[in-house]
Amino acid sequence: MGALGKPIILMIVMYLFLKFVLPIIPGSAPLPSSLIFLYLILTASGIVIYETLSGESKDAFWGPIQRFLTGENIGGLQALRYGVLILFPLLVGWQTYGSTATSDLPPTESRTIHPAPPGEYTGLVNPVPKTPENIMQGKGFYAAFCSPCHGGNFDGKGPAARGYIPAPANFADPTTIAMLQESYLFWRIKKGGVGLPIEGAPWKSAMPRWELELPDEWIWKIIMGEYDGAHQSPRTWE
Amino acid sequence: MKPANHAVRRVLQGGLAAIAVLVIGGAGVTFAQESVAVRAAIVTGGLPVDDPNAAVWSSAPPATFPMSPQVHWPDRIQEVTVKDVIVRALHDDQQVAFLVEYSDPTQDPDDGAALEFMVGEKKAHFAHGQPMLQVEGGPVNIWFWKHKEDKAVDMSAKGFGTLKPQTHQDVKAKAAYSNGTWKIVFSRALSTDHPEEDVQITSGEFISIAFAVWDGRKDAAGELVEKGSQKAVSSWWYFRADAPPDYSSYMYAAVAAALALGFQFVLIRKLKKGQ
Repeated sequence: MGALGKPIILMIVMYLFLKFVLPIIPGSAPLPSSLIFLYLILTASGIVIYETLSGESKDAFWGPIQRFLTGENIGGLQALRYGVLILFPLLVGWQTYGSTATSDLPPTESRTIHPAPPGEYTGLVNPVPKTPENIMQGKGFYAAFCSPCHGGNFDGKGPAARGYIPAPANFADPTTIAMLQESYLFWRIKKGGVGLPIEGAPWKSAMPRWELELPDEWIWKIIMGEYDGAHQSPRTWE
Repeated sequence: MKPANHAVRRVLQGGLAAIAVLVIGGAGVTFAQESVAVRAAIVTGGLPVDDPNAAVWSSAPPATFPMSPQVHWPDRIQEVTVKDVIVRALHDDQQVAFLVEYSDPTQDPDDGAALEFMVGEKKAHFAHGQPMLQVEGGPVNIWFWKHKEDKAVDMSAKGFGTLKPQTHQDVKAKAAYSNGTWKIVFSRALSTDHPEEDVQITSGEFISIAFAVWDGRKDAAGELVEKGSQKAVSSWWYFRADAPPDYSSYMYAAVAAALALGFQFVLIRKLKKGQ
């Protein structure tokens, strides 16, 4: 089992790493099972190529596999052999069932949370001077127009938010307005949910198209009030 | 080594082999997620289209959907009475029936509820199929019920202000109120002759569905509080009429397992002969 033991251990370690270790690395995320499967196939292919590079290593690799399958002189491993011979057809049957049975799950949907804005909304500079009075006024507009969904605490938990999917953005979360420019917020507030491109799934967003109701100057003031109230700063390129 | 120890070792080895195979094979398996759909189970012997309290409804799994005040359209509202709707559905391969249930402390003539569906292949905005700026949207089909008429109106819309009853009325509704709860049954044939304005329901396929509710209470001045676009709404969810059971996957699985077994048999024979 010497030449076989190492590859089996390597495969198990690789699986455990992909499944449990990789997701806890900061900035990472759990891998979809299809990707884990692909990586394991690649690992197995790598092992086979490595082990069959020379005639000597080829015999060392395949010899035990042949002996294991035919069951000759493998002593205590006989039970393992029967286990594999029984489980392999069952596994093939199970996978076939899984790929042909109709799913009870609704279609999965991917949605880009911050899709690219139209060209005319990149790089705009807030024309309203950042004075305490303007910030104060922006917070007042925010309280009147935005807080029902985005929340009085800028946390996306306003009283009107509960039924909406996608949920209203939480501005206190560092992955929302803190990584966006003021220009981007201006676009999103002005055009609302219906202004999103197809990858943003505009048919699901409840965000109003505020250009129909608010002058641009108010929108710029609301942006200032949002950043100040959520204790965030706009992203800049300096 | 003692025979007992030997047997234990064999069992352990077999178990380890089984775990190794399951771990590697299990990589392709996905697990069920939280329900985001209402599903219509198949019933035989008639749908309870006129009876919101029929016993057969308890056989349909309930799905609960949260509601929000409508804020998208400028004629909005900040607070609504109904916070959740509980929805069940049944079908008999000809007709579909939905039971919409929610708490409303008062029974008012202007109480109302509606189901909304996307029509055709194009996506429609959940707010009455409101036009989208970068995506060409489709129309929505709305099944509307109001207490004082206690009947359904089959409607179409493509944006706020475009809602109108259809010339062909295909939907029925029947409601019952008791103990602070409305139960409304909407029913229709799975398919109609007007696919450009009516949602077509094919068993086994998921389609988009949304809900709206109006509490018909009046304020101190005698004005309706919830009316028109001032209502409780939900986001898009999924609906599916279950397909009849299909056992072909079991057959495919059995054939595949038999083939794998045969492959093993031939392989081992070849290996033995080769030696």
